[in-house]
Amino acid sequence: MPDMIARYAEVVGPHTMDSLKIIADMLRGKRIVHVNSTKEGGGVAEILSSMVPLSRALGLDVSWEVIEGNPEFFACTKTLHNSLQGMPGGLSEGQVEAYAETSRLNALRLGGTLEDADYVFIHDPQPAALLGLLPGRRGKWIWRCHIDVSSPNRSVWRFVKKHVEGYDASIFSLPDFAQPLPHTQCLITPSIDPLSDKNIPLQKGEAERVYGELGVPLDKPVVLQVSRFDRFKDPLGVIESFRIARKHVDLRLVLAGGGATDDPESGAVLDEVQRAAAQDPDIHVLVLPPDAHRTINALQTGAAVVMQKSTKEGFGLTVTEALWKKKPVIGGDVGGIRLQIINRFNGFRVRSPEGAAMRIRYLLAHRWKRERMGVNARQYVLENFLITGQLRRYLSLLIALDSPGGEWERWI
Amino acid sequence: MGGLFLYRRADSDILLGAFQHGIRQGVEIGRKRRYSQMTENANLVPFRFMDCSLLTTSTGLRVQSLRELRAALPAAPVSSIYYHFWGRMLRPHIAESEYNNDFASWADSALGDAELAEELSAINAADCSGLEEVRAVLEDILDAHLDRGDFLSWKKGDREFHFIACTKLMFDTGREVSSLRDFIEAVRTTSLQSFFHHYIDGRRRSAEGKDDFTAWLEQFGAGTERLRTSLQSVDTYLFSLGELKTQVVSILGRFSRGGGAENA
Repeated sequence: MPDMIARYAEVVGPHTMDSLKIIADMLRGKRIVHVNSTKEGGGVAEILSSMVPLSRALGLDVSWEVIEGNPEFFACTKTLHNSLQGMPGGLSEGQVEAYAETSRLNALRLGGTLEDADYVFIHDPQPAALLGLLPGRRGKWIWRCHIDVSSPNRSVWRFVKKHVEGYDASIFSLPDFAQPLPHTQCLITPSIDPLSDKNIPLQKGEAERVYGELGVPLDKPVVLQVSRFDRFKDPLGVIESFRIARKHVDLRLVLAGGGATDDPESGAVLDEVQRAAAQDPDIHVLVLPPDAHRTINALQTGAAVVMQKSTKEGFGLTVTEALWKKKPVIGGDVGGIRLQIINRFNGFRVRSPEGAAMRIRYLLAHRWKRERMGVNARQYVLENFLITGQLRRYLSLLIALDSPGGEWERWI
Repeated sequence: MGGLFLYRRADSDILLGAFQHGIRQGVEIGRKRRYSQMTENANLVPFRFMDCSLLTTSTGLRVQSLRELRAALPAAPVSSIYYHFWGRMLRPHIAESEYNNDFASWADSALGDAELAEELSAINAADCSGLEEVRAVLEDILDAHLDRGDFLSWKKGDREFHFIACTKLMFDTGREVSSLRDFIEAVRTTSLQSFFHHYIDGRRRSAEGKDDFTAWLEQFGAGTERLRTSLQSVDTYLFSLGELKTQVVSILGRFSRGGGAENA
């Protein structure tokens, strides 16, 4: 058993890895390609950074391709992203042209690899048009949507639908996100990698050292939100919650995040956050590079309470990361956060800054309950949201796509 | 790849064997053989461990009210009934859940109808002869509740019930044990999905409501009677899958420490 598999087995148990290996063996010799729009920054890139090596360690032939685009293309896909999450507005004619042209250039560049593959996973709307541009494809294509598309801007959804309805299957994180499409729509949650820099246990004292290097004193409890500077993550709402809670308890707030290369809007949101936090010595806004995984690990490890007060959330992997580190999480009552946080079991779901402030006060006042919820939190992630489970479901989907018969109970 | 796959029909206990490439060959184990001279390993039918993977899919059916739920129920695929009663064991859930199926949980959390939730939660799906009977029982309860008219006619738009379908992919692990000692160790180290297949889903597949482990242990006769009773008495609704496995392993461990594995 390769070393990597043995290391995962130490976390999830050898029987889980044995079972995954049996499933992977059924796909041996098949060529699998993942395509997304960025190598760094954001949950998709992180998942693929773990899933691709793990798949290879299991003996699978897997590669990862990234589409290339100019700023106009990424402005277009950011509009797509926002509109699919319900923001009003639509694509301009120029943006539609940029999307078509960039897709065409990427189809030329990646065509050979993609047409030869047995299975292609296309992640999110950015590379979705590749399917229609590669008529010589021989494999099965799956569109993996990581976004909360429960209430999309209808005109933008029609634009995306035109590109994805030809796929063999699609994957959504939650049933609420599934949209009418003429193919199988699977429901598979994303996951975190327990062996990645972001999630491995740290050396004793490392969290304290990182806080010190970042200029954040640990003289009082830290409330932390880690996420991109994105309006749907509601960083201004987090600051408001903090200010309400601070009237009752002494604490610090750390807002840590960075931008992804495919997110041109993050700069504007960061400016708003910095203005809101200006002159407040207890609010620390940290702009981190996309590869600051160990730093984020330290921030999460050293925090007393973690927040993810999103107003829209595809899944919320920062919630998963914090739960894994035994931190109860206060999260927005939306999207994938609903699946991860169970009130009073491993955190609280909230709908307003006032509600969040109340829960901050509660968790800081009840240390024993906070620790108990932290233990629940880690176990819940162990059983449900680790990369090994997600890969198992992806591979099962590929097997199901190729296994004949319409029975819902099938021997393979 | 030979081996034995436990499967039972309503009329008799049967061990279906030599599962290979989806072909099942039946080997009947007579009662005489099961209840006598089973201490010699050569005569034992081995236990072959299977595994499964549950692939969940959207049906597109979503409802907001009790009336909509009742109207949609006949159109839901049978795998959806399975998923909302059994599939919950293989997805994020906590043992502290108040209700044992998704219909009951939704009646409480979305409709705020605790009385209906309790009625729905009282359904013991494993007692039904099949998934269609589970559906019929559900329909009867909903009809009775709607007839009484004491339900909310509205609810918030973001608390819909989504009918989710599933495909259960089952596969052979190739792992086979013949002795009780090896069996106990194999149960301890088998995957949660494999455990689900044999212990939880086995009860549904069995006409007598017996899990695969209990059915296999019958061949050891009276020596395993108490063990089988213990295994059958675990209430699978009250624990998470991980907790259930721990409990079953503990029962098997106690049996082994008491010398049962050697004496059976």
